[in-house]
Amino acid sequence: MRAAPEWLAPSSLEEALALLAERGDEALPLAGGTFLAALLNQRLIEPACLLSLARIAALGGIEGGEELRLGAMARHRDVELSPLVREGWPAVARAFGVVASPRVRNQATVGGVLADADYASDPPAMLCALGARAVARSAAGVREIPVEELITGYYETSLRPDELIVEVRVPRADRAVYRKFRTRSHEDRPCVAVAAARRGAETRVVVGAVAGRPQHFPELCRDGDAAEIGRRYADAIEPIADVRGSAAYRKRVIAVEVRRALEELAT
Amino acid sequence: MSRESILLGRVRYSQDRELPGMLHARVLRSPYPHARIVRVDASAVPARAVALTPDDVRGLGVYGCQIQDQTVLALDRALHAGDPVAAVAAATPDEAEDALALIEVEYEELPAVSDLEEALAGSVLVHERIRISDNDAAYFGIRPEQGTNVCHRFRILHGDFEVGLEQADVVIEETFRTPAAQHAPMEPHACLARWEGGRLELWTGTHTPFNVRSDLARVFGLAEEDVRVVVPPMGGSFGAKTFVHLEALTAALARKAGRPVRCVLPRSEEWVTNNRHPALLTVKIGATADGTLVAKRVDSWIDTGAYADCGPGVAQKIGYSAVGPYRIPHVHVESRCVYTNRPPNGAFRGFGATQAAWASERAMDLLADRLGLDPLELRLRNVLRDGDVFCTGETVRDVHFAECLERAAAAIDWGQGRSGKGLCVLLKGMQTPSRAQIAVEAADGGGYTIRCATAELGQGSRRALTLVASELLGAPLSEISFPDPDTDIVPYDTRATSSRSTYMMGNALEEAVRELRKDGRRGVGEFRNSGGLDPDTGQGVASSHWHQGAAAAEVRVDEETGLVEVVRLHAAVYAGRVVNPPGAELQNEGSMIMGLGSALFEAVSFADGQVVNANLSDYQIPSIADIPDGLTHDLLTKPGAEVHGLGETALPPVPAAIGNALGSLGIQTTELPLMPETVLAAIDRRDGGGVR
Repeated sequence: MRAAPEWLAPSSLEEALALLAERGDEALPLAGGTFLAALLNQRLIEPACLLSLARIAALGGIEGGEELRLGAMARHRDVELSPLVREGWPAVARAFGVVASPRVRNQATVGGVLADADYASDPPAMLCALGARAVARSAAGVREIPVEELITGYYETSLRPDELIVEVRVPRADRAVYRKFRTRSHEDRPCVAVAAARRGAETRVVVGAVAGRPQHFPELCRDGDAAEIGRRYADAIEPIADVRGSAAYRKRVIAVEVRRALEELAT
Repeated sequence: MSRESILLGRVRYSQDRELPGMLHARVLRSPYPHARIVRVDASAVPARAVALTPDDVRGLGVYGCQIQDQTVLALDRALHAGDPVAAVAAATPDEAEDALALIEVEYEELPAVSDLEEALAGSVLVHERIRISDNDAAYFGIRPEQGTNVCHRFRILHGDFEVGLEQADVVIEETFRTPAAQHAPMEPHACLARWEGGRLELWTGTHTPFNVRSDLARVFGLAEEDVRVVVPPMGGSFGAKTFVHLEALTAALARKAGRPVRCVLPRSEEWVTNNRHPALLTVKIGATADGTLVAKRVDSWIDTGAYADCGPGVAQKIGYSAVGPYRIPHVHVESRCVYTNRPPNGAFRGFGATQAAWASERAMDLLADRLGLDPLELRLRNVLRDGDVFCTGETVRDVHFAECLERAAAAIDWGQGRSGKGLCVLLKGMQTPSRAQIAVEAADGGGYTIRCATAELGQGSRRALTLVASELLGAPLSEISFPDPDTDIVPYDTRATSSRSTYMMGNALEEAVRELRKDGRRGVGEFRNSGGLDPDTGQGVASSHWHQGAAAAEVRVDEETGLVEVVRLHAAVYAGRVVNPPGAELQNEGSMIMGLGSALFEAVSFADGQVVNANLSDYQIPSIADIPDGLTHDLLTKPGAEVHGLGETALPPVPAAIGNALGSLGIQTTELPLMPETVLAAIDRRDGGGVR
């Protein structure tokens, strides 16, 4: 019969990293659990060991400055309601604030949503558009990974098994917007998500929820009006089909929503 | 069952019931929509768990509330992806789940019938022979077409459709579709079974304790009195928990284990246990130039899945509901219930009225458009009024369809421009014929006890009946208790369905209280409604009184994406006399919100015969944030009138009201749900078929 996974609950980051260095291949870090608990309950994963991050105080917290620093264990709801985030990074507060329901947002974490790399989550596209970096630590050292390079495909990241996301750093932008296009309930994931950010002369547009990873095409944003850029994005992306919309429908919505995001960015 | 006890988690639902030594069940299901079962080998299951395989149940009886088509496990053929082929009881649900993986099943895949079109082609028969059930739910003259997949055909012949058509100046013909939907109650199906001295005892969430009792007696070869069904409160049902679903399997496991067994369905298995019928309706309707309806033909096919359940009943109700509450001299309806290799479909709040209204009322708006008439005007010109004759030949009384329509229209300022606005009127029957009995006992220590089979599924029946009893007895609510229905104790009732309980039991209660006054200890009351329809002509009495309502919707459409925003939604429902005003309002609001889900995005999706969205992330239901700011409703009352059930009336008209609101913008849809993609395709058609 199946054994319950071993439960590891270190109280310091150093202890957690040491455990991962030793048992990274079999120990699965557990943050808020909104994603892993569903997989565990449905037996889609059967890890030998769960490494709970809940007791590690150092992973919490939200700090501002030149950059926004979101602790990996900060909850979506904390980000959504933080006056600091709302003031300096309102689009980040919005992207975390439109996820599912308050019940889910009270549980889901900043590190978790990036490490899960679920194609239909809201925050990754926004963080990507802002050029955010995940700080990954292991017993061997620390490195910063741009969110764009962190998520490599459906539920795939460039994290090594001994690494843990400890923090996310988000640079400021002159203006940023997040548009979530839903085709069903307000609590649904997006059918198409568009995050756009402007910093000086640079505009970044990232489309989420339409492919294995956030879709970003810097070369398509260099010239042209909003409608033109929207059409280019629609042409460049090969969207998936799922219960929220077909590939052909998504292409049409991408053109519209990218245009609208850029128009909103210009206001 | 107070609100406090519900909110504080003190109510013991079926899934919470426990008995000493109880085991937990899990079900092994066919991965194929249609397959021969060559071999089931459970020899690797450890001895401390109990496995149930087809050979254990081969000798047991066949069941089914309207058609006898179900065995405890699939015996030689699995008929849908999700059909139970084996089950295990073990000390914990996890251990039972582990043991399932040790059962080897060898299948030989067979060609499957995946939809109505394939079913009607008839090259694959889901059932070789169709046997009508002796359960009292099979009361209305079931007409199977042997050698086909049609397990029931209901017909209405009223006047002469062809003759009527000749009088028409304008004729509309269109085909409408509604998909399967999932009830998604908070509590899944749950059942606890125990054998005690040759008697079978069940604690199960069901609206239909007496139907479950007679089917289980049949399966196990017992006298009905040797089956006891106790019904704890349900954490919601919406029709999902009518008739036998888990009970036969759980009882068979308990018998083999020699210990009590509880089965609580994992959420994902709800989608392979009971859904709403997908429906295909073709409506042909003709009117004279002044907007007088002269002829209507409806051809309806519903997909009942691999087992009929109450599908024949749904087909019958769709048959007359799709005619709508109108005076039409010439009507011809052919309504069929069809087997496919899909999970079984059954009762779903509205019992076919949603599918019927979607087709019938969308067709009315297409007709109004063709005639150049205001859709409200067209309806008011033809709607049934007191003393009119319905297509079943019955004269209708105490009908308020016109008033419901007018109230609904006024609520969205119909007179001030119709753009983006739509209406739908609804006629829904109540179980006819049926019988309800209730007993009231004077308790030893003072106070009273109500003994009745009416199940509490969150609809508030216990509160409503306790309120009625309190008034009749002149006793405070605190002195009246209403224990869980128990077929060993309570008198007979047809079932707690079709929004009939408050009306039927409320009437029976009057006699019970009179009898109690005579006897001093106990009084039993009975109330019957009589009627029924001839299945070959549709003539007779469809319903002893009518559930009547209308909905009005106002929408805003994002024409670039097809996204529909419902700005205002109003339902006007005829209540007669209201017993419990807060409960009545909650029924209307809950129905409307559920209707929004059906209208806008709910659909069970399939690929290769498998449900692909069997979880509450991939299958969405409305959340609190989806409720329009302008969600309002009316309860139309009349002093001294009969109580009218309110459980279902405000749901079925919602999708068509929204569809008609889109229609007012030239966005003509025929298929639910109105997902943005579907709406965008209709916008493209309106604009000349141009896709970017």
